[in-house]
Amino acid sequence: MDELRTVREAYGEPAPPTAREIAEARALWDGKPAVRRARFGWPFRAGLGVVAAGAAAAVAVALIGHGTPDGGPRTGAGGRGVLDLNEQAVLQAAAKAELVPTGKYWSSDHILGQSYVVRAKTGTYAITGALTESFSWAGARKGTGEGYADRDLPARPATPQDEAAWRRAGSPATLRVWSSDKWLTFPTKATKAARWRSDGPEAGEDARGGGDFLGESVEDLQKLPSDPAELAEMFLTPERLGKALRLQAGRQAGRPVEPPGGWAVPQIARVASLLHAPVPPKVRAGLIRALTAQPGIHAIGRVTDPLGRRGVALAADERAVKVTGEFGGPADQRGTYRSREVIVFDERTGALLARQNQLTVPGGPYAQMKPGFIIDYSAVRSAQWTDAKPKPPASLPFPVR
Amino acid sequence: MTGEPLAAAPARAPLGPAAPRPSLRDPDRFGEVFDAHFAEIHGYAAKRLGPDAASDVASQTFLEAFRRRDRYDPARAAVRTWLYGIATNLIAKHRRSEVRALRARARLGPGDAPGEGHADVVDARVSAQGLRGRLAGAIAALPAGERDVLLLVALADLSHEEVAAALGVPYGTVGSRLSRARKKVREALGGTNPMRDVEDDHG
Repeated sequence: MDELRTVREAYGEPAPPTAREIAEARALWDGKPAVRRARFGWPFRAGLGVVAAGAAAAVAVALIGHGTPDGGPRTGAGGRGVLDLNEQAVLQAAAKAELVPTGKYWSSDHILGQSYVVRAKTGTYAITGALTESFSWAGARKGTGEGYADRDLPARPATPQDEAAWRRAGSPATLRVWSSDKWLTFPTKATKAARWRSDGPEAGEDARGGGDFLGESVEDLQKLPSDPAELAEMFLTPERLGKALRLQAGRQAGRPVEPPGGWAVPQIARVASLLHAPVPPKVRAGLIRALTAQPGIHAIGRVTDPLGRRGVALAADERAVKVTGEFGGPADQRGTYRSREVIVFDERTGALLARQNQLTVPGGPYAQMKPGFIIDYSAVRSAQWTDAKPKPPASLPFPVR
Repeated sequence: MTGEPLAAAPARAPLGPAAPRPSLRDPDRFGEVFDAHFAEIHGYAAKRLGPDAASDVASQTFLEAFRRRDRYDPARAAVRTWLYGIATNLIAKHRRSEVRALRARARLGPGDAPGEGHADVVDARVSAQGLRGRLAGAIAALPAGERDVLLLVALADLSHEEVAAALGVPYGTVGSRLSRARKKVREALGGTNPMRDVEDDHG
């Protein structure tokens, strides 16, 4: 019996490092910025929900099923085929995706946040922590430059009611919260980290860069089809999603294994990512229509995004998430809750506003929160063409408390 | 199937270090070391800790190597061995999560899908693997020094001399740790009593 061989075979072959990982690792020592970063892709914490906070949570958070497994009835009285006002609202927003004026530079600014529950003696309240703002820009033509910068924002009570509860608790300057498998402490006041970082592994400028979005030139993005079915075929099939999400190691019989919760969540993340790049208005509209038509995607009417903006939304089926005590943590945060992935569009312009994971049935860590509570999100603060070289905004996206 | 997922310079590999003594001082030549070994070190870390921590460990390994490149002594070890030594030290900082994950795998029966968490969308590699049950329990229960030796030999394919150089322990210690580790793995896999329960292996 060869134990060494048994061990070797049991450990298997992991996926090789991605180009981005290699570039970032190299940037740590070679003094040049790792600018091959997100390439205007949607930041990857998007779409992975509560688990994204730590890989260990893969075991701590056990998915125990999801609602309406057959794709479920469409939202609205009549189901598919019957006029659905919510769906109509999204499709009308898609149609309004105005002609975006082009310029010399494309820039985008997005905010990532994760909710945590603070159980103070004076009453439970929710905060948004792990808040980061990322700014990326790139010239339309190669050689006109590109750059990335990010900053950490202070934690903040999630809503005015939460803010009142935070004040009742004495307006603590730091907040200690349980995050999947560890305690984290967040400041509630702006710190040094709230300054923009423009160097380091995930930030920097490359004067020779530009001309490349999601691996395509601006000209190539113009050539994308506007037909929803064609776009769905190009971007939303399990094969394409598997490739985009690096599921190559999890293939069965040549097909990527369906992720827990189905394909709707990665489909939302993929469309968000594409809409984050300077794709033409017709393609933008086509992508929203394609997503709307996917089984397992429902139009849910109007919602408010984490920056307080109203928009029309699509959602994936809700999923149940069970928080176990596998990695310790407070016993009162264990239990099962249900939530769903939501993508929000500006009704007037068809612009992407946010992707957010929203509580549908309270339980576990969110037992005292109400349905609609936002568990984590990525919100677009701005995405636009300019002729002047873009700079990250000095102002904070939220008022400082 | 040994752990060289994409050795960037396979033609040179049998000759040992990608860079002889004087070159490591030159950042360009360090780039060659990086290109030749990054994927392999990343692969080793990914097997032991999963993809997220692997990214961290692999990039820190090369940052550390870059900072200490003046002190690298080619007379003592090949560059590859030296890098495995640095990586193993960094992996040691994740020991608790490594052991925790192994114990979680130890509880999986042969047919269970491991970790139904949503992170598996990305971490799909787990479904392809056979690291579970008694074997995982036995590896989890090994003293850290024995686990390092076992995995450097089994996964990184280092010789006893190379393991000794990488870990900075005497040659004889490598042999004794390895034989103890092999014995425990063999017993866990049924070398003694096949009726024994998984739980016995790790308490």
